[in-house]
Amino acid sequence: MQLTQAELTRQKNPSRLSSVWRHIKQDRQLLILFLPCIVFFILFRYGPIYGLIIAFKDYNVYQGILDSPWVGLEHFRRFFDSPDFWILFRNTLQLGLFTLLWAFPFPILFAVMLNEVRFIRFKKWVQTFSYLPSFLSVVIVSSMIIDFLSPTHGLINELLKAFGFTPTYFLAAPEWFRTIYISTDIWQHMGYDAIIYLAAIAAIDPSLYEAAKVDGASRFHMMRYITIPSIMPTIVIMFILKSGAMFRIGYEKVLLLYSPMTYEVADVFSTYVYRKGLLETNYSYASAVGLFESMIALVMLLLTNFVSKRAGGKGLW
Amino acid sequence: MVSIRATRSRYTLLDWVLVLILGLVGVVTLYPVIYIVAISFSDTAYIVQNKVFLWPKGFTLEAYQKIFNDPKIPRAYLNTIIYTTLGTGINLLMTAVAAYPLSRPNFFGRKYFMIAIVLTMFLNGGIIPTYLIVQKLHMIDSIWAIVIPNAIWTMELLILKSFYENMSGSLRESALIDGASEYRILFSIILPLSKPALASIGLFYFMGHWNSFFIPMIYLNDTKLYPLQVVLRDMLFFDSTQQNSLVDQSAITPQAMKNATIFVSMVPVLLVYPFAQKYFAKGIMLGSEKG
Repeated sequence: MQLTQAELTRQKNPSRLSSVWRHIKQDRQLLILFLPCIVFFILFRYGPIYGLIIAFKDYNVYQGILDSPWVGLEHFRRFFDSPDFWILFRNTLQLGLFTLLWAFPFPILFAVMLNEVRFIRFKKWVQTFSYLPSFLSVVIVSSMIIDFLSPTHGLINELLKAFGFTPTYFLAAPEWFRTIYISTDIWQHMGYDAIIYLAAIAAIDPSLYEAAKVDGASRFHMMRYITIPSIMPTIVIMFILKSGAMFRIGYEKVLLLYSPMTYEVADVFSTYVYRKGLLETNYSYASAVGLFESMIALVMLLLTNFVSKRAGGKGLW
Repeated sequence: MVSIRATRSRYTLLDWVLVLILGLVGVVTLYPVIYIVAISFSDTAYIVQNKVFLWPKGFTLEAYQKIFNDPKIPRAYLNTIIYTTLGTGINLLMTAVAAYPLSRPNFFGRKYFMIAIVLTMFLNGGIIPTYLIVQKLHMIDSIWAIVIPNAIWTMELLILKSFYENMSGSLRESALIDGASEYRILFSIILPLSKPALASIGLFYFMGHWNSFFIPMIYLNDTKLYPLQVVLRDMLFFDSTQQNSLVDQSAITPQAMKNATIFVSMVPVLLVYPFAQKYFAKGIMLGSEKG
């Protein structure tokens, strides 16, 4: 007798199911240990992804996620049509790109220089100090920035005055925002980011240097032809990682430093999501903006990975 | 041979240039912190005249007395300590327990779990849907909103998992032969042996909680529950009625008090960070390998 496809699968399934069941039973202790993790990821990592459907609905608290009425792409349309869209798009891209390009070389430079220092104790001190700022909270760092740039008592303006310039209210000046954001970012993270390059330098085979020394290479030559090429793989990987995360701008810092006066250059997608969503409780609209932002971030990550693979280097996967 | 000796013993121009540049870097990174401390111990009269640069002028503990007499800051300090301790504890427990099954090569469904976990590093719902879920779970205005929704950081989970994987399996095997359960193996063999890794990710978690500002800000409305960072923000940036305005507020909270609060909030960080380098370096290396 011929069995239909459905019957076949029905026959096959019990055995497969029972083998799955056997595996589960075998691993039950591990599964119990893993259970909190499963619950956590479903609730707080996949739950919000599911919750994103409110971007296509008119969410209101009383009806909840499921029963709120569908509106399709309405929120997206409203966002793309609003004048905010291009401002946010440009700011996010510029702030991310400029931070990447400006801040990336500094830790490398710092690590290479640190490696060349021959006063060991001095070197240790400088390194230890250098990563102190990355341990400070974004609130503290931002308050330092505001304090140092204050037009009434800030050190920077005091110096300007001492040299005969007029003091500037830097944080209220749109043309200064990016410079402030990026330079303080370098200040805060240079030492910490250098750790990985220093580790890479430490792994270089010392015999390379010995050989170069015997050949009469100067220290500049050794830097140029041994140190830098040896840490190139690390540099490339770090660059991919950083450019993949380019859109993940330190929005907390932007949030603390910007003001209506500087919105035109400082407002980025995440700060906009916070303002529209949590302060003005436009949950659906803000979710739509957030969804758009993560799509761009994902596309950027895939793109960088693709480009770096194409360029003959290593990708992330 | 002679030339090698010579370059070793004699300092060249390069050495001094490096010392100059790096010394400058050191000063620039350190100075803001010194300045904060100096202001916090100085007399207001000198601060107003902009006379404090490096060392406290008119040394006084007044600012510290004031902030510790105002109930707001000690309470916030206590809150931060509670959030950080409980939070880091939950983080470590959850991560340790989750990483162990994932490190077992034959664990049921391991591959799919791993994919599902790594995927969340690239895809997430963003703050609004997360906020709504926390709200739905009635965690708003409670400590749970701070410690539960971020109980596991994916990167830290992956770091610990690869640490477990690199541990020697022989101890585990002999325990298994002796009839020990997986729980027993994890808690009496694996965990005691992974102290360095736990210390490393524990530091990340600790710093994350201690410095956290955005999460408590959005989830807590009750000012009594505020941790230090949120109180600091309110103190340093605006009086709470004036959202999003960068008015120069030096007149409202005295400079010395602001800086005393900053310094007080920095103390644990300053104590931990010189020891952290070793662990952090390890953590970054492991993390970057994973991509």
